[in-house]
Amino acid sequence: MSKQTQGSDWWSCDGGGHTTFSQSGLRCNELTQNWMPSRRGLLVGAGMGLVGWMSQRTALADLAIAPGRKGKNVLVTVFLRGGADSMSLVVPFGEANYYRRRPNVSIPSPQDRGRNFRALDLDGFFGLHPMLSPIHPLYHSGKLAIIHGCGSQDETRSHFEAMSAMERGVARASQGPTDGWIARHLASTERSDDSPLRAVAFGSTMPDSLRGATHAVALNSLTEFRLEGEDADRAQIKMALAQMYKPGQDEVAHAGRETLAVLDAMDRLDPGTYKPKFGTTYPTSDLGNGLKQVACLVRADLGLEVACLDKGGWDTHVAQGSELGTFPGLVDDLGKSLAAFAQDMGPDLGRVTVVVMSEFGRRLAENTGLGTDHGRGGAMFLIGGGVQGGKVFARWPGLEDSHLDPTGDLKVTTDYRDVLGEVLLTRLGNQALRPVFAGYQPQSIGLIKAT
Amino acid sequence: MKLSRRECLQISLGGATLGALGWAGGCAPLAARLTQRDDVASPLPSGPTAPELRLLNRSGFGPRPGDVALLASQGRISYVDQCLAAAQNEPLTLSMQLHRLDALQIDAYELRDLPEDTVLSQLQQAAILRATHGANPLLERMVDFWTNHFNVYGRKGLAAYRKGRDENDVVRKHALGKFPDLLRASTQSSAMLVYLDNQLNHKGIPNENYARELMELHSLGVHGGYTQRDVQEVARCLSGWTLDLQWPRNRGRLKFEPSLHDDGVKTVLGKTIPPGGGAKDLDQVVSILCAHPACAHYISTKLCRYLLGAGPEAARWVEPTATVFRQTGGDIRAMIRPILLSDDLTTGPLIMKRPFDLAVSLIRALGGVTDGGRPIQEHLIKMGEPLYQWPMPDGYPDRTSAWAGSLLPRWNFAAALGRNQIGGTDIDLEALASRGSEGLFELTHGRRPNAEDHPVMKALTHLSDQPKLMAAVALSSPAMQWR
Repeated sequence: MSKQTQGSDWWSCDGGGHTTFSQSGLRCNELTQNWMPSRRGLLVGAGMGLVGWMSQRTALADLAIAPGRKGKNVLVTVFLRGGADSMSLVVPFGEANYYRRRPNVSIPSPQDRGRNFRALDLDGFFGLHPMLSPIHPLYHSGKLAIIHGCGSQDETRSHFEAMSAMERGVARASQGPTDGWIARHLASTERSDDSPLRAVAFGSTMPDSLRGATHAVALNSLTEFRLEGEDADRAQIKMALAQMYKPGQDEVAHAGRETLAVLDAMDRLDPGTYKPKFGTTYPTSDLGNGLKQVACLVRADLGLEVACLDKGGWDTHVAQGSELGTFPGLVDDLGKSLAAFAQDMGPDLGRVTVVVMSEFGRRLAENTGLGTDHGRGGAMFLIGGGVQGGKVFARWPGLEDSHLDPTGDLKVTTDYRDVLGEVLLTRLGNQALRPVFAGYQPQSIGLIKAT
Repeated sequence: MKLSRRECLQISLGGATLGALGWAGGCAPLAARLTQRDDVASPLPSGPTAPELRLLNRSGFGPRPGDVALLASQGRISYVDQCLAAAQNEPLTLSMQLHRLDALQIDAYELRDLPEDTVLSQLQQAAILRATHGANPLLERMVDFWTNHFNVYGRKGLAAYRKGRDENDVVRKHALGKFPDLLRASTQSSAMLVYLDNQLNHKGIPNENYARELMELHSLGVHGGYTQRDVQEVARCLSGWTLDLQWPRNRGRLKFEPSLHDDGVKTVLGKTIPPGGGAKDLDQVVSILCAHPACAHYISTKLCRYLLGAGPEAARWVEPTATVFRQTGGDIRAMIRPILLSDDLTTGPLIMKRPFDLAVSLIRALGGVTDGGRPIQEHLIKMGEPLYQWPMPDGYPDRTSAWAGSLLPRWNFAAALGRNQIGGTDIDLEALASRGSEGLFELTHGRRPNAEDHPVMKALTHLSDQPKLMAAVALSSPAMQWR
């Protein structure tokens, strides 16, 4: 089903219309055209890139006159730790070699009518993991875009190197600045009236993407984000903390002052009584709870701009399985949590963009333990009201053995920073992408709606 | 003390052992004994880099009351050598408490009667008890280092049931020994085996998980010069090491199964491993890894950063430490001794305490006692470091940036401890109350206040009529977050 397009080293499948890559560089007044796109890509690229750029100017103008910090657009990142198997999440059922190399650890094709457990057709070539059915409607309503075959240039296949590269917004972990890409984004868009709560990481430790960030805090839950004790004691302790953390210039003193500011901001919030809208019920998982709290913060309009969540457990060397195994449970929670968040947000999803990402994908060939080993090309999901969804975006290199990289992995054909960059520029009004991505100039893919 | 049947049994059976253990402090309760030691206190040094304080923070989990003065009178070299020897007998109370923990005493398959949470809780209890009350602070400090270096996630593949043995036979046994022995012991740990899936690494298509982490995280570092091909070759060498599932004879212990082993010729890091080596392939791999120059460099880098922080001091010490590694065959004592005696240790950058370090060091600072039970474990969860529960094989992060964003649960811990509201953990509130603000500062911070501490002193003085709050606040100060 896949075939080579003219004149370039990348492949596309024209069966389902998922190869629309516009290659306009995201510079403000310059469209780079030093590429060889597919016919479709050329058409879309010329039109979309320009429109996108103009609408961006409008959006920025709006921001400039927006009063204070209200109603800001929000980025939510969900990092799937461990290297999520992109080929089970977004199934290339049109590839014969996928089923040859994975006799046991594959998701049956949507055309496999004999099976109840089978992929949900997206475009005749790719299918969604069946447990992602809760977000399938978002794809059809254009609020979910999928990017396949993406990743960093890190080839160590080490979790930590690959995560470090991605969280720092660099090509590979051995180079570039040590702070995180979200931290640099926040720094480059800083304003004097910023909320103390520009960024929240749900969890006990700060992810590297927020390393070096100001106005950022890590927390397990909003309801727990309070000083313990009697009211009178708390007031006194808080005053003493403010005194002690006031003068210092080190990381801990800074963090202490920000924590106290967030405590003040949270005083106006009663997360315990938050009622999701539109009859939404979140899964009780960490991810479900986390997204519920993001929704609470977005609704409360405290000036939140970025929320970072993790979902671990994707390092499925063993018993990844297909219908049975560890993978379906992970995906089930992912799908239900994301769907609940989108439903709860309702019209507010218009100012929210969720990015789901992982440090790498996994090897095409399954191993002897009904699992898969570390690979390369991954999948990213974008969900939001501003997303140009309903498509799988992929410069698909193909899965025949000769199309894989030397280790037998799906090649990385899209730099993950192209996805993040487009979101930052068009949804969060950041034009300084080159510093955020350590000198890399992200290319536009056309993932975001022109408004 | 209420004892269960099993505990009574343990104690009566262990009577002979306990007698032989000896106990320097006699029969007085631990807390009382420690308070007595406080009486010998002489004037404390001041300033954030008080060298005695820094050394106690780096070579252990911080001072107990009186420790700073003791160190000052003992002298640094003598103290460090005493730490390195790690020959002090465990306090009797601690030995008794540890004997009551099934997770340390019983093999994996018999432990299966207990829920995973109970096993994990007991393992954490042991770690908290040992770090807080152990007699050999440097041993406990290095156990923290190696436990994270050879991280095992207790909630994967029933690894928790095997972790007690791993902690004793791998980490604690070799924490101050020779690195090749430590690495070798870890490859024989069934906890590590199941955590990194090697029981499914068979001849044919190998499972690379353990092979990769063995090189990337345990020995060479990710830039240690190995290739994907080396990962695959090491996986072939490790194939066949699996669990013996014959019950009850071997009860899930490690075994080498020749029929699952790939016995062909292999090439690891340019060295040929001839065919037919069987179980000996593993020894070859351990030898090749430990002899590789990257190993000395990588292990030294990690040790230096752990002890000296992320500044240029640590970088300067890497090469000298790697040289000692090469000269001594990876003798951990010989590697860290010069670092512990160096001025760089006391003048270099501060390192933010991880939550476990914070919890233990605050209890120690107050001369408190803990049973290490669930209530304090709950605080570790909230602060972000429930032990043996970091899912990824790299261990809990030690970067300041990873922890600075979650100060609030640390403040809440400090407040709960300062008000004596943590079940199973006790501090002497009355003694604290009688100290006044300056005395409380000295006790918690291990030094006299200086000009920079003015804001802290002001906050404490303001609360001088409310001792509970004063302790809570003193324990929440910025300085308490650093080691």
